[in-house]
Amino acid sequence: MLRTTLAGLRAHRLRLMLTAVAITLGVGFIAGTFVLTDTIQAGISRSFGAAADSIDVVVLPPPGDKPVVLPDRTLAKVREVDGVASADGLIRGTAALVGRDGKTVGDHPTRGMSIDSRVSITKGAAPRGPGEAVLDENTARLRGFAVGQAITVLDQMDAPHRFRLTGLFDVGVDQELAYFGAVGFDAATARAMTGVKGYAEIDVKAAPGVAADRLRAAVASATGAGPEVLTGKALADRLIAANGASAEFIALGLLLFGVVAMLVAALVIYNTFAILVAQRTREMALLRCVGATRRQVFGSVLLESALVGVVCSALGLAAGLGMGGAALAVLEGMDVPLPTGTVALAPRTIAVGLAVGVLVTVGAAVLPARTATRVPPVAALRTQPEAAVDGPGAGTVRRVAAGLLLAAGAAITAVAVTVLGPGEVALFTVMGGGMVTFLGVLVIGPVLVRPLSAVAGWLPARMSGVPGRLAVDNSRRNPRRSATTTIALTIGVTLMTMMAVLTGSIRANYNHKLEEQFPVDFMLSTQREGSHIPSGVGDGLRGRPELASLVRVRQAETAVTLGGREARRTVGAYEGPLEVSASSGSARGLAPGSVLAAEGLGVRPGGTLTLTPDKGGEPGEPVTLRVAATFDANATPLPPLVVPPTEFARYFDVAGDAQIMVDVAPGADPDRARKLLEEAARPYPTVRVAASTDIRGQFDEALDTQLMVVTGLLGLAILISLLGIANTLSLSVHERTRESALLRALGLTRPQLRLMLSVEALVLGLIGALVGVALGMVFGWAAIQTMFADPIYAPPVGQVLTFVALSGLAGVLAAVLPARRAARAQITAALSET
Amino acid sequence: MSTTEARTTAAAAVTASGLTKVYGRSDAAVHALRGVDVSFDAGAFTAIMGPSGSGKSTLMHCLAGLDTVSSGSVRIGGTEITGLDDKRLTMLRRERIGFVFQSFNLLPTLTAEQNILLPLQIAGRQPDRTLLDRVVETVGLRDRLGHRPAELSGGQQQRVAVARALAARPQVIFADEPTGNLDSRSGAEVLSFLRTSVRELGQTIVMVTHDPVAASYADRVVFLRDGLLVRELAAPTPQTVLDTLVSLEGAPC
Ligand SMILES: Nc1ncnc2c1ncn2[C@@H]1O[C@H](COP(=O)(O)OP(=O)(O)OP(=O)(O)O)[C@@H](O)[C@H]1O
Ligand SMILES: [Mg+2]
Repeated sequence: MLRTTLAGLRAHRLRLMLTAVAITLGVGFIAGTFVLTDTIQAGISRSFGAAADSIDVVVLPPPGDKPVVLPDRTLAKVREVDGVASADGLIRGTAALVGRDGKTVGDHPTRGMSIDSRVSITKGAAPRGPGEAVLDENTARLRGFAVGQAITVLDQMDAPHRFRLTGLFDVGVDQELAYFGAVGFDAATARAMTGVKGYAEIDVKAAPGVAADRLRAAVASATGAGPEVLTGKALADRLIAANGASAEFIALGLLLFGVVAMLVAALVIYNTFAILVAQRTREMALLRCVGATRRQVFGSVLLESALVGVVCSALGLAAGLGMGGAALAVLEGMDVPLPTGTVALAPRTIAVGLAVGVLVTVGAAVLPARTATRVPPVAALRTQPEAAVDGPGAGTVRRVAAGLLLAAGAAITAVAVTVLGPGEVALFTVMGGGMVTFLGVLVIGPVLVRPLSAVAGWLPARMSGVPGRLAVDNSRRNPRRSATTTIALTIGVTLMTMMAVLTGSIRANYNHKLEEQFPVDFMLSTQREGSHIPSGVGDGLRGRPELASLVRVRQAETAVTLGGREARRTVGAYEGPLEVSASSGSARGLAPGSVLAAEGLGVRPGGTLTLTPDKGGEPGEPVTLRVAATFDANATPLPPLVVPPTEFARYFDVAGDAQIMVDVAPGADPDRARKLLEEAARPYPTVRVAASTDIRGQFDEALDTQLMVVTGLLGLAILISLLGIANTLSLSVHERTRESALLRALGLTRPQLRLMLSVEALVLGLIGALVGVALGMVFGWAAIQTMFADPIYAPPVGQVLTFVALSGLAGVLAAVLPARRAARAQITAALSET
Repeated sequence: MSTTEARTTAAAAVTASGLTKVYGRSDAAVHALRGVDVSFDAGAFTAIMGPSGSGKSTLMHCLAGLDTVSSGSVRIGGTEITGLDDKRLTMLRRERIGFVFQSFNLLPTLTAEQNILLPLQIAGRQPDRTLLDRVVETVGLRDRLGHRPAELSGGQQQRVAVARALAARPQVIFADEPTGNLDSRSGAEVLSFLRTSVRELGQTIVMVTHDPVAASYADRVVFLRDGLLVRELAAPTPQTVLDTLVSLEGAPC
C-alpha cells in the first residue's frame, strides 16, 4: 500500500503543491513566533545573568503598593556587616531633561539616578561632583546631545540646573529607563535633583572568600524585618521571570494569529483532499476491485496526508527560522529595546511545529479519507470519469444543525449586549457568540453558496457575457467545495472587518469623549503630575483679544473622609466660563461650604464629606462640606472634587494652575493664538501647549498603527485562503479539462476561457468577502456595545468596501495561473482524454 | 485520387490537399496522415471509415481547425485555414463549424435548451426561432428542454448535441463517432435525424464512424488506411461498406 501511496503522491505532487505551501506558511508562522520569543528570552536571561554576576547581595525596600525607599541608616548598617566589601545605594527618581527647544523632553519627565560601578558607561566618563551628568545613549541620540556639551535638568521645584555631559551609559534591560530615558549623577547630586531621600536598591559586594548565601543571611539579620534581602542570582532569576512573562505574552498574542492561519490552512487541506478523493473515485474503486480493504483505502489517504504533513512541517520549520530572524532584524532596525542574540530552533519548537503541521494535515484529511472508503468497487466500471456534481448539499440535518448554531450564537451575543453591562466579561461573551455563529455559517455554507453567487455574480455575469454566465454557474456547481473554499477567506475578512469596525468606532467614541473632555481649542498643562503652571502665565493671558475664554483649574491632593473612609483625593477649583453639567443636583448650588463630587465616589447631593485643608504641608482642622451636585468625571475636565475658588484658596496654598483651557475668539487666527500661548509658556520648561487636534492626531496614529499591525498579521491567514482559492480552481480546471476543450471547440476564445475562470474566482472571492464583512460588521457592533456605556457605532464603510473589492481582486489574482493553464491546453489532446 | 480532384468544384464545402500530420519527432514520430487529398460537397452527408489508428480523428481535427497540420492545405468554403492563428481559427469554428463528439458533448451545468443555444450565444447571434422550433421538433426533445444532461439518456444527450450543431446553421458539421456509445435504436434515431437535416435543411455533414450501418446513412463513404485515402464509395449500403472494409483488410495499400 505504501508503494501505491508514494506513486499517487508523485502523480499528484503538482496538485498538492498549493496545499503544501499553505501548511508550510502556517507552521512557519508558529515556528517563527517561537524562534523570535526564544531568542528574546535567551537575550533577557543573558543580560540579567551578566548583571547579577557583579553583585552578590541586594537589599530592596519592603514590597507593597506605595513606593518607599531604604533610609540612609540601612545602608550604614549594611556597610558594617562582616564580609561586605562594598555597598552602594541606588537613587531613583525623576529629573526632567530640558531639550534644545527649551521644553522638557517627552511626555513624561526623564528618570534621574545615581551612577555606581554597576552601570556600564559606554562613552566618556562617569559623572563626578555637582556639575557633571551622563545621559543614556538613546536619549542623547534622540535629543541631539553629545559628550562635552552642557545640558539643563530641572529639579523637583522645576528650577533649572546646568551640567556638563561627561559620558553616555547603557540602560541595559531596564524597561523603565529605556522608556522614559535617564539622566545619571553622582549619589549626592542625584539625591538633590530627584529629591528622593533614600535608596531604591542597595547593591552589596562580598569580600573575597565570602559566599553569597552566607552574606545574604548576615545582611538580612542586620537590616531586620522589612527590607527584602536577596542574592544577586535570586534577583536575576526574579527579573528574568518577570521579563520572560512579557515575552510569553507576546508569544501568546502571535500564536493566536498562528492558530487562525492554521485553521484556514486546515480548511484548504480538507478541500484539497476532498477534491482529490472525488477525482480519484475510479482509482480507489479499482484498488477495491483488486482486493484492497476499506481500511487499506482509508490508510492510504491518511498516509498520503501524513507524508505531506511531515515534509511541509519540516519546510515550515526552516521558514520559521527565517521569519523569526527577519522579525528580529526588523525590531533591531526599529531600535526596540530588546535584548537579542543568535536565532535557533529549540527542540520544543521543532516538536510543536511538526506536531501541529502533521496533526492538522492528517486531521483535515480524515473526512475525505472516510469518503474514499465509501467508494464501491463497481464505481471502477462507470464510464463517466467526471467527479460527480454534488447536490444542493443541504440535508435536513445540516439545516437544523446550522439553525441551532446560528440561534445559539445570536442568543449568546444578545445576552452579552443587552443583559451584561459593558466590560470584559461581555466582550468575551460576544466573542464566544461570534465563534458559535461562525460554526453555524460553516455548516450552512453550501446552502448559502447558490443565493450568494447570484448576488456576487450579478454584475460580473452581466458585464462579461457568456463566459461570465458560465462562471457563475460553475461557482455553484459544487456548493460544498465552493463553501469550504470561500469560508477560508471569510475567516480572515471577518477578523479584518471587525478590527476596522472596532478601530473606526473606538475612534468615533474617543473623539466624542474628547470633545466633551476637551471642549476647548487649547490646553496648557505641565509634564509632571503635581507641578504647576506659574500664576503669571494665566494672568498674562487674561484679557487678550485673540482668546475668547480662559478657564484656570487649580488642584491639590489631600485627605478626604467619605462614607466613613479616609483616602487621599484630588480636590480642585476652577475660574472662568466652564459649564459643569450635573448628573444629579445643580452645579449652580456650588457655594462656600459645599462641593461638587464626581459620580462613582459614593455620595449623593445633600450628603456630606470631610476634607482636611493642607497649607504648607501642615494639616489643618478638618471641614465638613455638603455635596451640591454630582457630575460625570469622564465628561468634565475637572478633578473628582470641586470647591469654590475662594474656599480652595482658604484650604490650600497652591501657587499655580494645574491646567489652563483656552478657546480662540471667533474669527481669530488659531495659529496666532497658538503662538501667543507658546510665547506665554516659553519661560517655563515644564509648561506645554496642546491643541485638541494634536491629541486627536496622536491617538489616531496609535490606532492606525495597531490596525496596521493586526492587518499585517491577519494577512497570512488571507494569503493562505487565497492559496485555497487558487488550489480549488486549479483542481477544478483539471477535472474540467474536457469541458474546457468542448467550449474552445464551440468557439470560446482563449481570453474568454481565461475570463470565465477569473470571473469564477472573482465570485468565490466576493462570496467569502460578503459573508466576512457581514459577520465582521455585526460582531464589531456587538463588541463596541460591550466596550462603551453609550457607544457610537461608526463602521468605516470605505475601508470595508475596499476589503470586498480587494478580496475579489485577490480571487482574480489567484485564478491567473490555473486560467493560464486551462487556456493553453491543446483542444484535441483534451478531447481525447478520458 | 483523380476522382477526388475532379470533384473540387465551387460546391465543395471542405477541401484538403496534400494533408500530412506527424506527431512527435524523429525516431518517435508517428505519421498519422501521409498526404490526404479529399473534398466534401456542400449539402452532402459524407462518412469517413477505416481501421482503428488509421487517422480518422486526426483528419477530422485537421479539417475542423482543432489541430494544426504538418503540411498541405485545408479550405473551408474558400478560406484557407492552415496558418490561421488561434483567434481566427476560434472565430472560424464559432461562425462556420459545428461539432458532435462521441461523448461528453454537453456542459453539465446547463439545461438542454441552454446547451443548444450556447454556440449562438458565444457568437453573440440571435437564434432563428423558426429553425430552432423545427430542429427541436425533429429531435423530439420538446419536453426535455429544461433538463440537465445528467437527467437525459445517452441517446437524448447525443440528439441535444446534434440539435446544438444544427441550430447555429454552420457551413459544415463534423461528427466523430456520434453513435459510438449508443445502442442501435438510439443510434438509428440520431443518424436518421442527421440525414433528415441534410435532405431538408441542406446541411453539410462529415461523420467519422466504425459502423457500416451508420456509414450507410451517408451519401458517400471515404476509406482511410495508415494515413492515406484508399477507397471511396457512393450511395453505400451496409453490405457494400462491409465488403469494402473486408477487401481493405486483405489488400495491401
Ligand atoms: N497526440 C498524439 N500523439 C502521438 N500520436 C498520436 C496522437 N494522436 C493520435 N496519434 C496517433 O496517430 C494515429 C492516428 O490516430 P487517430 O486518433 O486519428 O486514429 P483513429 O482512426 O481515429 O482511430 P480510432 O478508430 O481508434 O479512433 C494513431 O497511430 C495514433 O496512435
Ligand atoms: Mg478516433
